[in-house]
Amino acid sequence: MLQQRNEKAFSYLYDNYSGALLGIVNAIVTDKETANDVLQNVFINIWRRIESYDPSKGRLFTWMLNIARNAAIDEVRSKGYNNSQKNIPLPETNEIAGAVTGIEITDVGLKKVLGSLKGELRVLVDMSYFQGFTHEEISKVLNLPLGTVKTRIRSALTQLRTMIQ
Amino acid sequence: MNVQEYISSGIVESYVLGLASEEERKEFEQQCLQYPEVMRARSDFELALEKQAMQNAIIPDPALKSKIWSEIGEKGKVIPINEPVPVRKMIWAKYVAAASVILLIISLYWNISLFNKNQELKNNYDIAAGKIKEMEDDMEVLKENPNVKMASLKGMDASPQSFATVYWDTASHDVYLLANNLPAPPTDKQYQLWALLDGQPIDLGMLDYDVKQKKLLIRMKNAQKAQAFAITLEKKDRSDVSKPQGDMYVMGNL
Repeated sequence: MLQQRNEKAFSYLYDNYSGALLGIVNAIVTDKETANDVLQNVFINIWRRIESYDPSKGRLFTWMLNIARNAAIDEVRSKGYNNSQKNIPLPETNEIAGAVTGIEITDVGLKKVLGSLKGELRVLVDMSYFQGFTHEEISKVLNLPLGTVKTRIRSALTQLRTMIQ
Repeated sequence: MNVQEYISSGIVESYVLGLASEEERKEFEQQCLQYPEVMRARSDFELALEKQAMQNAIIPDPALKSKIWSEIGEKGKVIPINEPVPVRKMIWAKYVAAASVILLIISLYWNISLFNKNQELKNNYDIAAGKIKEMEDDMEVLKENPNVKMASLKGMDASPQSFATVYWDTASHDVYLLANNLPAPPTDKQYQLWALLDGQPIDLGMLDYDVKQKKLLIRMKNAQKAQAFAITLEKKDRSDVSKPQGDMYVMGNL
């Protein structure tokens, strides 16, 4: 009985949310096969950590979305796209220049919304949300004061809100 | 603090998207408890984000679900033992045999303890899932329903820090209490919720503090009519519970 209810609840979560979570994972990992592998880990994590979900701090979906985003960023970093070292390398400045011009606005989902932000704000949100850089790291790489990074990201996020509503 | 300014500062999005610092998170969670507007801004953005993500869902590989299922499935995860490497000299065979027996014992122990751990996790999960379902059902009742009115109950002289919210369904007369901030009562006392109509208190039931610790929304007695709501702290053993005698902790109009 107990077993059945567990499986039912989890199966419900999977059926309802796996697609939406894969959407976000795919925006970060881009390779479809890897994205599916990440999604598998995401659901195993959800299963194992469900006790730590605290409804007073947000919706269940938000909690799962953050697990998915973190797992996807970890995957990209562990692969060490540029570098096999354990430490996360900061991108070289010329790569940043590439990032400024190189973000495809043909992306879907949140990334598409991101595309409608102005150049620099787009880079800031991309670096912090989709690549998981801390404000400190971004400040170092873009050579901007920490306070500026913070306020610009905040302002970009409020713009994002009006776009998705 | 200017609540509107705080809400439009980008903190809501920052928090929900997981970009806020530890310090910002703590502050935000505090503000959510104190200001229903902040809480509402958070859930509005969460819903918009969820909707957005749903619209941009990508269908996973159909084989994935069963793969996940077998990972977390009924039995504890089995740790595979490596095949012993073939040995040439007989003398090694003894060591290998001894080693495999030890490995086998360790692996059995692991399997059993993982199995037990897994059962425990499943039980905990079941409890948590039940709680979530309960809370979501409660929330659904309030969210989708245009008849629901809200009263913010502000702290009175007895406890200026206190704060509670009452949701009242004007059609079904159901009353739900969200005790945002009420101090733990002394063991011989308990909180009582009242509806106020033309200055007259109507008993809406006692608040079980143990239940409050576990549940977000507590269903109280129905109220046919009300202009305001209040909570008082009352002695547990008084004979007539239809009139308040203790201090008023919070009160608010509809």
